[in-house]
Amino acid sequence: MLAIWLVACVACGTWLYRNLSVTTDLTVFLPPSATPVQRVLVGQLRDGVASRLILIALEGAPDTALARASTKLAGRLKTRELFSSVSNGGPGALKKERELLFAHRYVLSPAISPERFSVAGLHSALRESLELLSSPAGAFIRPLLPSDPTGEMRELARLMIPDGAPGRRHGVWFSRDGARALLVAETRAAGFDVEAQRRAIQSIRDAFAAIQPEGGRIVLSGPGVFASQVRSTIEGEAWRLAALAAVLVIAILFAVYRSAVTVAASMLPVATGLLVGVTAVSLGFGEVHGITLGFGAMLIGEAVDYPSYLFTQAAVGERLDATLARIGSTLRLAVLTTVFGALAMALSSFEGLAQLGVLTIMGATAAGLTTRWVLPALAPGVFAPRRARAAPFDLSMLATSGRGARWVVVLLVAAGLAVVVWRHERLWDDDLANLTPVPEAAKLRDRALRNELGAPDVRYIVVARGKNREAALQASEAAAAWLGESVARGLLAGFDVPSRYLPSAKTQAARRAALPDAATLAGNLDTAMRDLPFREGLFAPFLDAVERNRAGPPLEAEALRDSMLSLKVESLLIRDQQGWTVLAPLRGVRAPEALSLAASRAGHQLLDLKGESNRLVNSYRDQSLWLIALGLLCMTVVLAWGLRSAARALRVLVPALAAVVLDVAILLLLGERLSLFNLVALLLVVGMGLNYALFFERPQGDTAEQARTQLSLVVCGATTLAAFGCLSLSETPVLHAIGVTVALGSVLSLLLAAALTGRRGNPV
Amino acid sequence: MKARAELALVACVSGLLGSAAAAADLDEQVLMRLLASVERASARFVETRHSALLTAPLVSRGTLLYERPDRLEKHVSFPYDERIVLERGQMTIDNRTRGRKTTITITRAPGIAGLVESIRATRAGDLGALERFYKVEVGGNRGEWWLRLRPHDQELAEYVNAVTVKGAGPRIERIEVDERSGDRTVMEINEEFR
Repeated sequence: MLAIWLVACVACGTWLYRNLSVTTDLTVFLPPSATPVQRVLVGQLRDGVASRLILIALEGAPDTALARASTKLAGRLKTRELFSSVSNGGPGALKKERELLFAHRYVLSPAISPERFSVAGLHSALRESLELLSSPAGAFIRPLLPSDPTGEMRELARLMIPDGAPGRRHGVWFSRDGARALLVAETRAAGFDVEAQRRAIQSIRDAFAAIQPEGGRIVLSGPGVFASQVRSTIEGEAWRLAALAAVLVIAILFAVYRSAVTVAASMLPVATGLLVGVTAVSLGFGEVHGITLGFGAMLIGEAVDYPSYLFTQAAVGERLDATLARIGSTLRLAVLTTVFGALAMALSSFEGLAQLGVLTIMGATAAGLTTRWVLPALAPGVFAPRRARAAPFDLSMLATSGRGARWVVVLLVAAGLAVVVWRHERLWDDDLANLTPVPEAAKLRDRALRNELGAPDVRYIVVARGKNREAALQASEAAAAWLGESVARGLLAGFDVPSRYLPSAKTQAARRAALPDAATLAGNLDTAMRDLPFREGLFAPFLDAVERNRAGPPLEAEALRDSMLSLKVESLLIRDQQGWTVLAPLRGVRAPEALSLAASRAGHQLLDLKGESNRLVNSYRDQSLWLIALGLLCMTVVLAWGLRSAARALRVLVPALAAVVLDVAILLLLGERLSLFNLVALLLVVGMGLNYALFFERPQGDTAEQARTQLSLVVCGATTLAAFGCLSLSETPVLHAIGVTVALGSVLSLLLAAALTGRRGNPV
Repeated sequence: MKARAELALVACVSGLLGSAAAAADLDEQVLMRLLASVERASARFVETRHSALLTAPLVSRGTLLYERPDRLEKHVSFPYDERIVLERGQMTIDNRTRGRKTTITITRAPGIAGLVESIRATRAGDLGALERFYKVEVGGNRGEWWLRLRPHDQELAEYVNAVTVKGAGPRIERIEVDERSGDRTVMEINEEFR
């Protein structure tokens, strides 16, 4: 038996060591019926442009020092492989982009029309140029005037450098009050790649430390920064709390067993369960999701209790085989209820839930088998207690107080149900943002920086689709048309579309057709200049440029390579299995409903990333709820079959369910709202509650055995309370939610099982 | 003879002393205080651009209106009708000939901001604002002074070599801009205080 166990453990361990790949890819959590839009959403959350931006602010020094630091920092970061672009608004920034725009201005400018190059159009443009020359802008338009008298570069600048762009001081971006120099870095790695984000952040901090400006500070923000902060917080806290919990649990077990070997042995089943469970998921699905790992480890946490039942039920000097002969069937039922409870989940079409189900089933089974067969075989005599052990207090008080206690429980559960019904509208926490442990101050800072930098606010995106690249670019132009009107109507502040940087072939052809041939243009220009004081031959560069754009090859994506323009096109125009998707991120959305209507009228779609991702998680939660209900049904059937009596099954089931009702009611009264995490925690509460009730309900021979049962349950309850109590101290909402729910649930389950299921002193 | 020589010497010395005193008392601070004493000013101006692009200098005329500390209005009446209003960091250009109105936040257009500030901040005696864009140099005396502004702001320096303001007492009389392109604009100002 030992040999089988050892071989299995080594095999699993080796396999995992070679093949385990943990992913954080959110697509696992997509329902199988996911729409293209939902896929786009998840893609955006994973590695959209917005998810790659790191916003940087330098502050706490005079503006001249900050400007110098900004220039140096941008210079250093640009040489790093980690970033695809770093902008600080400095001179020389966007030089290549400006050259590209300039070279192709007559196919890029939306203002191109045949009228613009007629005698009247040119005359009007030249008159305007004269006015601009004598305006405060004169010095700035003067150098480009000979090559761009119609002002196409001004037109393009207006489009591509929206008024949302930050202001500048000493040649670099500054906040409005001049207190902070601003930079934006775009990482090559996706926002969800927390490790890469962490490296990028560290590289920025290192570069800044190396510059050491006079007393300045650096502030970073953005999705990647948040993700890595969250990961650090959770990791730091999780380790600290896990260590604390482990110390407490070991202390409790040691106090009971007075034997290091026994304490060590009680860790074997859960460790084996985790190993086997993860291997099973890894084998079945190819990879294990991080969330599955976390939740799964929690769900088979009840396996820690299995050896406790075994060890504490052993009579003085009794060998484990003998103990197992008495409690074996109860233990088997405890494992089977967990396995069947997770069965529905394992069959789910959501891959994430299916992974969780498989991990629970295989994990609990392996832990059960280890407890049943491996522990006794390991060293049959060693674990036998030398003297009788008793619980520090007597739970049978609750049972013996009889009908009174039951009525109290009935009233409490009724009250609990009333609370749940009363608060049913505020039962669920629908806002994903509340679950992220990002402090409110950091969120505010992010919003402020985003505002100053005019960065897209990562919430609203218009999605349009096309069969091929050209169709998608035409869809992008159609979207730009109605979005432009919406900007004029004040529905939003601005937007970005890929066709701005790469017009469709159709539009390019139309613009080129609007350009007159060299002779016509020269003639028109001569006539237009007749009464104006421009020197003859001044506009030769203009005539050349128009002819080059007219007769030259169309602008292809290839020409934009290695520039921000290409980056824009690639991030806003995405190819997938079904075709091409155009993304138009919006800025300063004021009327989402009106925009949504306008979008659907154009055959496009307004995507609310926040709303959509909340919806996604909620559908996941609803699915979980159904599967858990189904799981409960399976558990009931297994109980009735295992106990050979519906009445006994009910006696076991009722305290567990009552504990869940009271648990939820208390959480609601504490002002908490339930999320997916609480739901999984409640599943664990049910599993534990059933085990408690099963052992209380078990026919017990003498008072010594009753005392041992009391001890088992007190030990199990105490270890659970210790472990999850530690978790409830966490500042991370997720860990806190799980900790509170389970700690509360374990106490409630124990008390209710004692009160409702506990047998009276006389043997049955 | 001796007396006349003495008198001449005294006159000479006192003249020297006088001009020395005048020079000493006209540093940037003094000039700025002098300029800052004006609450409201209105002026007619004639602005001439001398450009290699043009066959003849480009002339425009109109009025300037200033209200302490940060409102400046330039109203071009010839050869077209345009009103440029600078107020609290916002510049509005209202071209009535073309029926077009645009608003610029001045910090977002540092080049234009620098040029506009050379007038606004000089008129307001706001040395801090001038020094954000320029290295400031002052010469002459209260009766006849000049202010040379050389941009240290990189963006502005790409287009402008220097701005020279000339004036008498609290009055600004002439603003000359030397551009990197070789163009030169001269604005002659005829100020009245009310």
